[in-house]
Amino acid sequence: MTTEVSTGSAPLLVVEGLHAGYGHVPVLRGVDLHVSAGEIVTLVGANGAGKSTLLKTIVGLVHATRGRVVYDGQDATRTLPERAVRAGLALVPEGRMLFGPLTVEENLRLGAFARRGAPDPEDFERVFVLFPVLRERLGQTASTLSGGEQQMLAIGRALMSRPRLLLLDEPSLGLAPKVIAEIFGTLDRLRTDGLTVLLVEQDVKIALRHADRGYVMRTGAIAHSGSAKDLLADDHVRHIYLGAWDDTSASSNPPQARTGSVTP
Amino acid sequence: MGGAWRRHLPAIVSAALAVVVLALPLAVSDRYLLKVFMFVGLNVITVAGLAVLFGLAGQVSLGHAAFVGIGAYACGFLTARAGWPWPAAVVAAVAIAAAGGLALALPTLRLRGHYLGMATLGFSMILGIAFVEAKAITGGNDGLSGIPLPAFGALDLDPATASYLLVWGTAVLVLLLASGIVRGRPGRAMTALHGSEMGAQACGIDPIRVKVTAFTLSAALAGLSGALYALTVGFVSPTSFALETSIILLAMVVLGGTRSLAGPVLAAVLLTLLTYVDAILPGLSKEAVAFLQDWKGDIYGVVIVAVMLFAPAGIAGVARTVRTRLGGSS
Repeated sequence: MTTEVSTGSAPLLVVEGLHAGYGHVPVLRGVDLHVSAGEIVTLVGANGAGKSTLLKTIVGLVHATRGRVVYDGQDATRTLPERAVRAGLALVPEGRMLFGPLTVEENLRLGAFARRGAPDPEDFERVFVLFPVLRERLGQTASTLSGGEQQMLAIGRALMSRPRLLLLDEPSLGLAPKVIAEIFGTLDRLRTDGLTVLLVEQDVKIALRHADRGYVMRTGAIAHSGSAKDLLADDHVRHIYLGAWDDTSASSNPPQARTGSVTP
Repeated sequence: MGGAWRRHLPAIVSAALAVVVLALPLAVSDRYLLKVFMFVGLNVITVAGLAVLFGLAGQVSLGHAAFVGIGAYACGFLTARAGWPWPAAVVAAVAIAAAGGLALALPTLRLRGHYLGMATLGFSMILGIAFVEAKAITGGNDGLSGIPLPAFGALDLDPATASYLLVWGTAVLVLLLASGIVRGRPGRAMTALHGSEMGAQACGIDPIRVKVTAFTLSAALAGLSGALYALTVGFVSPTSFALETSIILLAMVVLGGTRSLAGPVLAAVLLTLLTYVDAILPGLSKEAVAFLQDWKGDIYGVVIVAVMLFAPAGIAGVARTVRTRLGGSS
C-alpha cells in the first residue's frame, strides 16, 4: 500500500529459468519474468501454455523443479502456500474456488485467515468500497451469487490478506463483457492504491488495455514481452499469438495450429 | 440491549443443560435408565469427534466404530490383564486410537468422498478381523471380560451413578473442547477445506495439516468413548464395533447437520434413545417394545430417508432456517 511506481527499484517479483510440472509432465520450461512494485503485468497466451501453472508455482502450490522465484528480494522458490500468503502474495484462483455453502462474510473472514487474529473492520471496508454489492450480499451464501459477484468476492477474499502482490487467474472467465469491464475497472483502482498485480488472462485485448506490460507465454516459456501498448500494436504478436480479435469477438483464442507453424 | 443476551444465550443454555445432565442421578433412581443415559453419553463423545471430522472438515469415515473398538480393547486389556490403574489405561487407549487415526489419515490424504469412505471401510474391516483373531489381547469371539469397574478413591458411589457421572463428566468436557474447535481457528480452517480445497490453500490454509488434525482428533475421541465403554460395561466383544455401528454414528452426524455440534449431539441422543425406547416410555406394552426393537434397523432407515428428503441440511439446517426467519421478521 505504501509502494510507488519506480522504474529504478528492484522488482517485487523475479522469476528466473523456472521449471515446474505435474508428476513427470513438464509444464514450465524455463520461465523468466519480473514484476515491479506498483505495476500491472499481464501474462497472456493460449490454453495449456502454462500460465496458471506459473501462478501456482509462484505461490508454492506446484513445486518448482529448477529455477528461482525471488519475492521482495528473498528467495521464495519452494515456499509453502501458507507462508506465501503471509508474505503478501495472494492468489485469486481460476474458477474463483469460493466456499460455496458459507456466507459472503465468512468467505471474506477466511481470506484473512493467514494473518491470524480477527480481521479489521477496515479490511472489510476496503473490499466494500471496491465492490459495494458485496456489502448487500453479506449474509448470503457464496453459491447464490451471480458469476460477476463471485469473482468480486474471490478478489475481495484475496484482498483480506492485505497482499502486496495480487495474482489473478482468469478473472473474466464465464462473465459478460459488461461485468468484465467492471472487474477490470477495479484493477485500475487497486493500482492507484499501490497494489501490484500479475494477471493471467485469455481475454488478451482487455488485459493489455489495463496492464503496463505484458508477457506472451507459449508452451511453457516466455515467447514475447514488452509494454502493453507495444504488444497491442504489434501486428506480429497480435496475429500469431493473440488471435485477430478485431474481426469477431473480444475474447478469441489464438488458433493452435497456426501458432505452432510460425517462429517468433 | 437484547443483543448481548442473545449472543450469550447458547452458552447459558449449554451450561444449564450440563448441570441438568450431571444432576440427573439425583432424580433418577432406576439403574437401567441411568445405564441407557450412559450409553447416550458414550455416543455423544464419539459423535462430537465425528461432527468435527465429517460435519466440519467434510472427511467421511465409515470406520469410526473401529476406533471405538481400539479404545475399548486397549483400555480393557490394560486394566483387566496388565493391571494398569484405569486413568492411565484411558490415556493410553486414547493415544493408541489417535495413533490409529493418524495411521489411517496419512495414506488416505489424497482420497476424497466415496474413495475415502471405501478406504475407511477397508480399515474397519481389517480391524474387525483383528478384534476376533488377536485372541491373546481381545479374547476373540468370546470377548474380553473381567474389566474392573473404575474406583473413585474415597468417593463411595453406587456403580451405576459412578459410571454415569464418569461418562457424562467426560462428555461435557469433550463438548466444551469440540465447541472451542468449531468456533475457533481450526474449525474455520476445516470449514474452508470442506468448501474448496484450492480456495483454502489460496487463503493460506494447509489442507494436509487440517485433515490429519481432524482425523486424529476424531479417532482419539472415538477411542475415549470406547475406553469408557470398556470400563463401565466391563465386557468388550467384537460385534459392538461392526460396520453397522459406524454407519449409525455417521447417520447421527448427517441427521444432525453439517457445520454444527448441537445438531449431531441431539441426533446422537435421539437415535440412541430409540434403541432403548422401553426405558424411556415405561408404559409401553411388551409387544410394542419387541416390535420397535425388531424393526430398529428399518426405523433408522425410514427416519434417515425422511430427513434426507424433507430436511437435507439436518437438524442444524432446520434450526438455521428458523433462526433466519425469526431474525428477518423482528
